[in-house]
Amino acid sequence: MVAMIWMKDIHKTYRLGEVETPVLKGVDLTIEEGEYVAIMGASGSGKSTLMNIVGCLDRPTSGHYVLEGQNLAGFNKDALAYIRSQRIGFVFQQFNLLARSTALENVMLPMIYAGAPKAQRRRRAEETLIRVGLGDRMSNRPSQLSGGQQQRVAIARALINRPALLLADEPTGALDSQTSQTVMDLLSDLNQQGITIVIVTHEPDIAAQTHRTIQVTDGLIVQDSAIPTDRAKHTTSPCI
Amino acid sequence: MGSSIPIPSTSIIEILSMAIAALWSNKLRTALTMLGVIIGITAVIAVTSVGQGVQLATEARLLGLGADILQVQAGAAKSGNISQAAGSATTLTWSDAQAIKSQVLAADQVTAYLQQTAQVVYEQNNLSTTVLGTDIHYAEVNNIGLQAGRFFTQDELEAAESVVVLGPTVRDELFGVGGNAIGAKIRIQGQRYRVVGVAEVKGTRGRSNPDEQVYAPLTNISARLVGDNALSGIAVQGIAVKVEKQEQLEAINFQIANLLRVRHNIHPARGDEDDFQISTAADLVATLTSTLELFTVMVVAIAGISLIVGGIGIANIMLVSVVERTREIGIRKAVGATDQAILNQFLVEAIAIAAAGGLVGVGLGLAISFIAASLFNFPLVISLWSIVLGVGLSFVTGVVAGVIPARSAAQLDPIIALRSD
Repeated sequence: MVAMIWMKDIHKTYRLGEVETPVLKGVDLTIEEGEYVAIMGASGSGKSTLMNIVGCLDRPTSGHYVLEGQNLAGFNKDALAYIRSQRIGFVFQQFNLLARSTALENVMLPMIYAGAPKAQRRRRAEETLIRVGLGDRMSNRPSQLSGGQQQRVAIARALINRPALLLADEPTGALDSQTSQTVMDLLSDLNQQGITIVIVTHEPDIAAQTHRTIQVTDGLIVQDSAIPTDRAKHTTSPCI
Repeated sequence: MGSSIPIPSTSIIEILSMAIAALWSNKLRTALTMLGVIIGITAVIAVTSVGQGVQLATEARLLGLGADILQVQAGAAKSGNISQAAGSATTLTWSDAQAIKSQVLAADQVTAYLQQTAQVVYEQNNLSTTVLGTDIHYAEVNNIGLQAGRFFTQDELEAAESVVVLGPTVRDELFGVGGNAIGAKIRIQGQRYRVVGVAEVKGTRGRSNPDEQVYAPLTNISARLVGDNALSGIAVQGIAVKVEKQEQLEAINFQIANLLRVRHNIHPARGDEDDFQISTAADLVATLTSTLELFTVMVVAIAGISLIVGGIGIANIMLVSVVERTREIGIRKAVGATDQAILNQFLVEAIAIAAAGGLVGVGLGLAISFIAASLFNFPLVISLWSIVLGVGLSFVTGVVAGVIPARSAAQLDPIIALRSD
């Protein structure tokens, strides 16, 4: 079986003038299809950078990243944009919806960049909003929706292109605990439907609801609940 | 490897509808940003249209004087070093006209004239008007038809008889509108004249209005109103020469000038200056056209400056917009927008602002032309060329103004863009 994510010795170093700041210092990580994973770590640990590289928003300084059996080493910006469009859905802490657009328009946005025809976009966006329980809020703008509703719109937008991988960066960070739970329940449902989900969080009780917790400290994975050793090891091969 | 992926390009219609939605959500700013382009394009359209209308109207009026007519005017008399108006000196005589008729073979018709402002009286009615002393060819050369009676004859001219032909306005003033004037006796400067004809309505042409004139034999007017000079013969203010073919105008112009120089003992080689001026309607049209062209070039140049300023305004606002919408750009990139799609979106916004400004400008310019044409009574000329130019210029302005902001938007790093407030 091909791993969803296979990373080997990923380094990321930011350079500001003469000063080099290493953020990731050799991360090895394997996530299988259908997993539900939480990445935990303190602020500045490198977990967000790791998330950005996993999500093809950023590229590692060195190391190998194979996504669904595809080595992304030679991919240019356009090709990475295409991977984001087709294979990855993003959910952010601040929802990141377009304020001037309705829920339906926000959900359709990724399909515009995927080149889908308008009728198909509308139909699928409606289906997806119904799936996240917002069938009656389609023409509302973000300002007319509660935080939990906005996050569900964002989840619908992440799902619209039927991605293999859903990445959520502190998805409950801006929500109260009750609303957080509805969002977590939704993510849990989606995972049961087969979508691989990776959450970045610093809340242990959120992480506890996933099936695997990875601890990132100072640019390295120091603990992985799937592997009972200090240093995580990959177990499956990257390619067939 | 990356190039093997078939990356879909976002269609221009999608991008255009996104751009219009963005512009519509900020109507006031969009409208103000358009203003520079609107002013520039309005100026281009209005000025070219009004300019062409005025030119057409004036050309028609000038050519109404006769495209096949050459005017010889006494003058360019110099008082000190100051040139006086042509016709102000008495350097042309009736015999000059007769010499032109007999020696310049291509001259079809030649007529000499003398003008004098005089008081014309019939019973209790009187008016001050121009009395034109001329010969029997004047009506033919100037296409003056008669609605009643006849023109005076060669016999009456030679005998210097006191007969007149009235312009229609003069007849209306003295005898009432459409009144019968034939055979009536009127007084000009106290002298008695018999009306033999009434001219047809011609309308204003150039500076003079033939409908307000009175025509009488040159010999009579010269003797009784102006006073003959026995030494120089009958002085005239102008000679009009009608040619058979317009192509001959240049050649005849040359021949007449030479003939008059010989007769007036003028030697250009000696540094003498002509005491007459020869002009054609075409000369006047050419002068007018070049004046209007200069005017048009100037206004278009000003419009060009306005477009440049407008373009800078668009570029400025687009740069502000890119900064304001950094987070939006980050979101769009995160969900799969390529750099090209972002570039296109902002470029299309800039072009849409400029093109909309251009269209509004075309509309305003046409409205101004229409109002000016109906107010000042000249034909409305809508030149497709100026509309195409106006819209094209505004489009180009949008492209040029949009390139830098659109590139800066496209090059934003999505991670940094998503982190911005």
